[in-house]
Amino acid sequence: MTTLGKADFGVTTFYAASHPNDKCGPNGLPLTPNSIKVMGRFQVLATLQHPQICRYLDIAKSKHERMLVVSEYYQTNLLSQLGSEKYSNERNVVHVVYQILEGLSFLHGKGITHRSLSLDNVLLQSQSDIKLAEYGMYYMTGWGSDVSFPIGSPHYTAPEVLCSGPVVVDEEAEKCVQPVSGPKSDTWSLGIILLQLVLGKKLWEGTPLAEVLQKILGFVTEEMSPLDSLAVSQGFTEKLKTLSKDMMDLLRSCLTVTPSRRPAAEELMKHPVFREERQKATPYLNGYSMFTTRLRCRDLELPNYDDEEYDPDHLSQRSMDEVYYLWRLAGGELESVLKKAGMVKTRPPINLLPCCGIPGGDVFGQERDQAELLDRTIIVLSQEQLRSRLQDIEETAYYPLLEDESVDTPQLPSSPSACDLSQTQSLPLIIRERDIEYQFHRIILYERLLKAYPFKRPHIWKEARVDVPPLVRAHIWAALLEVEGDIEGTYANIDKETPITTDRQIEVDIPRCHQYHELLSSPTAHNKFKRVLKAWVVSHPQYVYWQGLDSLCAPFLALNFNHEALAYACLSRFIPKYLNKFFLKDNSPIIQEYLAVFAHLITFHEPELSNHLEGIGFIPDLYAIPWFLTMYAHVFPMHKILHLWDTLLLGNSSFPLCIGVAILYQLRDRLLSFGFNECILLFSDLPEIDIERCVQDSIRIFCATPKSAAYRQHNKTSKQQNKGEDRPNVSYYSRDYHEQPQCELSMEPITVEELKAEKCPRISAEDLIELGELSGPAYSRSPSKKRLNSKPMILMVDVRSHEEYRKGMIAGSINIPFMTAFSPEGELSPCPAVNTLNSRRNQIVVVIGNRGRNAANFANELVRLNYSRVCVLHKGIDVLKTTGMLTVAPPDI
Amino acid sequence: MPHSVEKEFTFTFSSKEGKSKLTVPVTIPLVSSCTELVGRLQKMHNLPCNVIDELEKKLGEFTARETGRMHDQNGEENLQLLRQGKVNSNTLVDRWTKAYCKEVKEYATIQEEDPMRTFANVYHTLIHSPALETLLNLEHTYALAMENIIRQRDKDLKHLEGKHQSEMEVALQHVGESYRDDDINSLAQRHFDNMQLGEGKWAGELSQLREEQKREYHDWVHRVFEDTQAANTPSYVQRLRTVSATLPAAEDEERQVQNRLEESFTIHLGAQMKTTHNLRLLCTHVLDLCRHKPHTVGGIVVPQPQRLQTAMSLYSNSLCGLILLVDNRLNSYTGIKRDFAGVCEQSTDFHFPDVGRQLLAVEQAFAAANAVRQARQLQNVQEGDSVSVHSNGSGSSGGSDNQDRSLGAKLHTGDFYLTKHSNLSEVHAVFHLVVDESVRTGDITSRHPAILSIRNIIRLCFRYDIQTLTIPLLLTHEMTEEMTIPWCLKRAELLFKCVKGFMIEMATYSSQVSRTIQFLVPRGLSEEMFAQISNMVPGIFRLSNTLVVKTS
Repeated sequence: MTTLGKADFGVTTFYAASHPNDKCGPNGLPLTPNSIKVMGRFQVLATLQHPQICRYLDIAKSKHERMLVVSEYYQTNLLSQLGSEKYSNERNVVHVVYQILEGLSFLHGKGITHRSLSLDNVLLQSQSDIKLAEYGMYYMTGWGSDVSFPIGSPHYTAPEVLCSGPVVVDEEAEKCVQPVSGPKSDTWSLGIILLQLVLGKKLWEGTPLAEVLQKILGFVTEEMSPLDSLAVSQGFTEKLKTLSKDMMDLLRSCLTVTPSRRPAAEELMKHPVFREERQKATPYLNGYSMFTTRLRCRDLELPNYDDEEYDPDHLSQRSMDEVYYLWRLAGGELESVLKKAGMVKTRPPINLLPCCGIPGGDVFGQERDQAELLDRTIIVLSQEQLRSRLQDIEETAYYPLLEDESVDTPQLPSSPSACDLSQTQSLPLIIRERDIEYQFHRIILYERLLKAYPFKRPHIWKEARVDVPPLVRAHIWAALLEVEGDIEGTYANIDKETPITTDRQIEVDIPRCHQYHELLSSPTAHNKFKRVLKAWVVSHPQYVYWQGLDSLCAPFLALNFNHEALAYACLSRFIPKYLNKFFLKDNSPIIQEYLAVFAHLITFHEPELSNHLEGIGFIPDLYAIPWFLTMYAHVFPMHKILHLWDTLLLGNSSFPLCIGVAILYQLRDRLLSFGFNECILLFSDLPEIDIERCVQDSIRIFCATPKSAAYRQHNKTSKQQNKGEDRPNVSYYSRDYHEQPQCELSMEPITVEELKAEKCPRISAEDLIELGELSGPAYSRSPSKKRLNSKPMILMVDVRSHEEYRKGMIAGSINIPFMTAFSPEGELSPCPAVNTLNSRRNQIVVVIGNRGRNAANFANELVRLNYSRVCVLHKGIDVLKTTGMLTVAPPDI
Repeated sequence: MPHSVEKEFTFTFSSKEGKSKLTVPVTIPLVSSCTELVGRLQKMHNLPCNVIDELEKKLGEFTARETGRMHDQNGEENLQLLRQGKVNSNTLVDRWTKAYCKEVKEYATIQEEDPMRTFANVYHTLIHSPALETLLNLEHTYALAMENIIRQRDKDLKHLEGKHQSEMEVALQHVGESYRDDDINSLAQRHFDNMQLGEGKWAGELSQLREEQKREYHDWVHRVFEDTQAANTPSYVQRLRTVSATLPAAEDEERQVQNRLEESFTIHLGAQMKTTHNLRLLCTHVLDLCRHKPHTVGGIVVPQPQRLQTAMSLYSNSLCGLILLVDNRLNSYTGIKRDFAGVCEQSTDFHFPDVGRQLLAVEQAFAAANAVRQARQLQNVQEGDSVSVHSNGSGSSGGSDNQDRSLGAKLHTGDFYLTKHSNLSEVHAVFHLVVDESVRTGDITSRHPAILSIRNIIRLCFRYDIQTLTIPLLLTHEMTEEMTIPWCLKRAELLFKCVKGFMIEMATYSSQVSRTIQFLVPRGLSEEMFAQISNMVPGIFRLSNTLVVKTS
């Protein structure tokens, strides 16, 4: 984790080349815009961390292929320091060169050639230490093929690069024709830098560009070595004589024309001139990883707190990503920064319009906007606004203590500026996500919790019920899904290359999956998609690839774009939890059961809607399969999926059903007025759904649904409750019904036919006892949802004959014998018990009968009369006989 | 010079059974990580786990070495190109210099400030300042002056024409008596000359007035701008007042705005990510969207509010475009082209050259376009030849080549050209789309060149920030006999669906900007028909959620 330190943020901008015509690629789809390709490739750069390179932080795409790149930045660089006294001392020069080499060899090890190395790209982070900047340009632009400008400064370009000419792009293959420049071209550039450092002045100052290029190309055919040739033409032969032998040798080897004789950065570090430097150097350990089987504290060094070193600038101790995230929340906007600096002076579009076009798509007579030329200026993003927004935050807030969970202290401190942050907690999510102070506290808290993962998992779980800050979402999801262990190793050992039969299907699906998303539509993403999906298919031989798996993978990939292994690990934890057996080759029994239970839940919560839909024959099979198969990832755009899944991941495997009901609830009015065809149309292109409302509704629905009502036999069965202590007990939500021990009062598998025949869900005797508070036996385990002194949630309706009821009934139940309950018109015949029923309409109605069908039929009739929350006691009254809860009714008065 | 090479990697290790040797081809540079490759090798060849660490180390060294070697070799070959004279160092220098000078600001020659461009900036600033109203009024005054002259011209020419006609009638009655055939001919010739003279005189006068207005206007704008920049005391306000006072009084004839039939919809496009757009169905004449129609308020002639809108957005990123269907001749002599030119002429365009001059530029651009077209045809023919055994294809295409050349300036169906205007009422950019008789038949498909061109036009709209585009829904500007009810419905459905498809396609990678598409149907369409077409919209597009306010 690179901390901010004294760094600034800098933003640069450039235009990606736009495709001349709407050509199609080899797969028949339109070519991906270059800007999208650049964005995809950029992502890996953002993960590079090394003391001698500047971090890349963010990339954004603005209108018409303009790219904005944010990176770590320092205002002074070698160019501005050129000629200063400092570098007349050879030792200082050697130090700088060694650091450049460290940075270069790190980059080369990652397969990245700098290609733009120049004096002004070597930034000074302190008096003596440097950091390389702009090293990602060549890599992210596809080795120069995605932009129309040449990469790198011509003065520093190696002769072999110049020989191959400017990049020519082969439109068909979407690749540059020339070979990619190797890492040794950077050694040449370093040589030029070194030469200028020791000379204390710029080479070829004031010489026209063509002459400079001619000169460099001249080295190729000249007999004389480039250094000598330069010394003669630039007149510094004398100066060179003052240099040490080692230094001369270093210069000479850098400025070797033939690449095979020019050393690479890593070899160069072994040069004798760096003897001292090598001794001083400390190996760079790239710190901490959340998921590993290695000892995480191995490289841990406890900082010693000297009072002298106490730095009141706490923000500088935070990681750069965090500070940048906060910078944006503080109102930082890249485009307006550039605009203020006069960097985006585009011409009005009316003046750029072309003159004419032909049906082939070509247009003629348009003007080139000069604003599209590359301007290498870097604009500093001012941190002033951010710091002033955070100035009122107390120092202690930067270092929150993770208290013992038993002590129930409020996590959010109150602050003088925003009165009370716990109030913020009650605001809508969208507002909370934009509130800088709130987010500040949240991410610091989460960062600490995640460091203590998995030990602090219960605490993470508890906090996630409040909300999940976007910055840390990827890891929180992993924590909620209980991802653990050596995920990298596992993932690396899965064969993702050998062709398999599903390859074709995957190829076809990926270019259709969430392609509005800038990251996911890039070729880099497609490649990652393919690897993660293949990894899943290969390592789950019992399952097959069903369409929809791609959508399911998308949110994880979007979050963990630079961490395929984690995306894979999350996906493979997610599927058994929510979609157990859905990916079997024959998944119809599982889906049928799921849909039948879904139909029950609709009836349970929305009898009127259910009656209407059933009347027009619009059954869930027609619309809900993609909902469940992709857990709504196919239905909603990415930003909504993220919010939905924040909650979904906290719920148990039945929660998705409640989301389905919540969606129907939101469309209720329209559905009630629609016929079959209109319904089909409506769902073929689902209208905009308010996702926050949907989440709230589904939570409400979930809480109002007895657990056993959503029972499905194909759900994952627990392996034994071993993880009980990991999660806090607050989650009546998160515990699956199946994770509880079974007993004779529990739910049992019911056939799909039977499920389909019944309209209402069944509930187990366990739930009845629990919800009815019938002084349950000890083995009922779910925490009561009841608030103190509230009435029981349920109303028990006994539909057996009066005589049977008299012989043994449940205390508090009312008796409406099925035989006499309904009038010939189908209405409930009035009697005191019916009045009770009507007066308590917002309660769950449990219909209790014998083993026969009477109870179910009675329930169906209630549904027909639009009674909501009707369910039937599984196995009837008999199941309660062993509990001793049946009593004899008091005699009628 | 290859981007990647395949190299043989050999690894020997000893196990219980003795020495084993593993040889595998490895692609350099490595696509995935070394660790992954080792994992695969282990599985494939069932390697013992005790050799894995060493294998990984060896493989890592191997790939690093080979990658370096490949780069060296590529570099070497590059150098050889120059050494062996396969490339000339001068051409290389030229190419690089060009690449840097054309694409990098540091090396580019700075474009000199174009007076039109400064004017654009100045105008855009003024029109978003309190000077707005006066600016508009000034333009308006000029427009009225222009209109006045045009009216005089029309009257004069009409008078001349009448005179000629009566003279000719008289002459014709007396043919053979006092007039011989030759006399008639010379009379006709004289009339023609007179007419031309008259037209020429007026044209000269008009263009003079136009130039004069343009110059005055530019001067005035620059002066006011300087005033506003310098001003502590807004002296320009004074100037504004004087100008405002000269507004002409109402005229005798009544100016009225004709009512148009229109209906608007808000729609969502896209499967998961939805973008909001506006659709409008309009029934009016296409030139009504162009014609600048001043009307009177309280005795003073004032411009329409639309005019204000177009003026303010002229140099902004929210332009309005219109598709005008034209025939394949590039001029403004006949039909709707002449009417359109007439509308443009009504007032002076202070920002862009007049239509005639714009068309000249278009003609030049079409020369380049035709070259590209022919090159492409040739390529197609060649490709076709290489595939099929000499069909008669080459012969016939040779013929059509000749034809193309002989036709010269004639345009093809589906070609379009653009004119820009600052003096029209609701548009800035007009796409003149070339169509032929085939659009009148009932059976055109989505592959028709006109439809393909609409796609290209929509693409340009996305590229150049044209946020409002008007499309003739039936691909015609007039109602004709063959346009039966089924014909209209079929055509409307085709266009709706195609435009929907194009919109979704274009929006794929671009930002979430909402746009307005206006579908224009010709005047003369029955109200009933209009209603039928408007009823098609909810079936084809997903209308946005209606907001229902519930009172609880």
